[in-house]
Amino acid sequence: MKGAMELGAAAAVVKGGMNRGLAIFDFILRLVAIVATLASAIAMGTTDETLPFFTQFIQFRAEYEDFPTFTFFVVANSVVCVYLVLSLALSIFHIIRSHAHISRIILIFFDTAMLGLLTAAASAAAAIVYLAHKGNTRANWFAICQQFNSFCQRISGSLIGSFGGILILILLIFLSAVALSRR
Amino acid sequence: MSTDSTRIDVAETEMTSREAKGKAPLLADPPGQVDRKSRGFMGLRRHAGRGGGYKRGIAIFDFVVRLCTLVAAIAATATMATTDETLPFFTQFFQFQASYDDLPAFQFFVVAMAIACVYLGLSIPLSIVSIIRPHAVAARMLLIFFDLGMVVLTTAAASSAAAIVYLAHVGNSNANWLSICQQFNNFCQRTSGAVVAAFLAMLGFMFLVVLSAVILKKP
Repeated sequence: MKGAMELGAAAAVVKGGMNRGLAIFDFILRLVAIVATLASAIAMGTTDETLPFFTQFIQFRAEYEDFPTFTFFVVANSVVCVYLVLSLALSIFHIIRSHAHISRIILIFFDTAMLGLLTAAASAAAAIVYLAHKGNTRANWFAICQQFNSFCQRISGSLIGSFGGILILILLIFLSAVALSRR
Repeated sequence: MSTDSTRIDVAETEMTSREAKGKAPLLADPPGQVDRKSRGFMGLRRHAGRGGGYKRGIAIFDFVVRLCTLVAAIAATATMATTDETLPFFTQFFQFQASYDDLPAFQFFVVAMAIACVYLGLSIPLSIVSIIRPHAVAARMLLIFFDLGMVVLTTAAASSAAAIVYLAHVGNSNANWLSICQQFNNFCQRTSGAVVAAFLAMLGFMFLVVLSAVILKKP
């Protein structure tokens, strides 16, 4: 009987250690996601290319503000970045106190909402970037990347950080769910 | 003085010999065991005091939300896949036909929403299993993992199509992209409706993720 109790106590300590390890991993992932979304927002927000020739009628300047989708992308990435910074506090609280269940559910709720926002922004921007690269002959939409090379490279590269943030958020939500199901 | 022995008749009882000696029966019922006669509907045991009641309620609600999400996803797929508009006039140089095939974002939309429909159809039996056994952790983990993937897939499909629909409605003067909705009215209406249905399916999936998290919580 005493041996069984000791075995149960040892198992509880191992489980508590595993929960703490999960919480620390959660914290580190959040830091990486902050860097990724911040890099995406900055990369998209600093696009500005002016071609060296001009005529009286057509402007040869491209920046992210010309496309409402890219403006939404910058705003959404900034919002997700700020949210992740604020949620670091809750993540530290979960490292200290591994048995907090209600706060983990609240964290999962807000993480899912932010995941939806980030995915919406990233995939809308990806659709416009694809259109800028390829164009569409049926709708007479011309591919602008043939003229604006540097602009196209910046907007394509800024998508990478955003999609990385999406993967990290999925992992974060799943980690929180795993931590919830273990006592 | 009589030497008669007295006979005391002791009535035979139904006790076993062990019980007659005052000892406990060999196979005692373990504490907390529900009496076999109290099985309810479909053989479900009552787990009184273990939180099974509210988990089963949430699991039933999860099933209902799953059905609604399936309806929204089927509506989105069907509406987008059947858009095809041909204007009644034509010239030698321009074609005046618009269907979802013309835009890769809409093709991705149809494929992704079809995948979401198939997943929902396959996950309904798993959801029913989870209603019957509210404490099955593995089924819930599987559901929450794939529901998360479906949130991302549905959101990606819906928002990329929304970006193209916005462009078709408004156009972009900086890139010389003309808005095509002024000519293709029916096409634009149908694609907009499909995008709205896909966003409803996305909200349904998000709700399913949070419900699964609540069910996973150990009381």
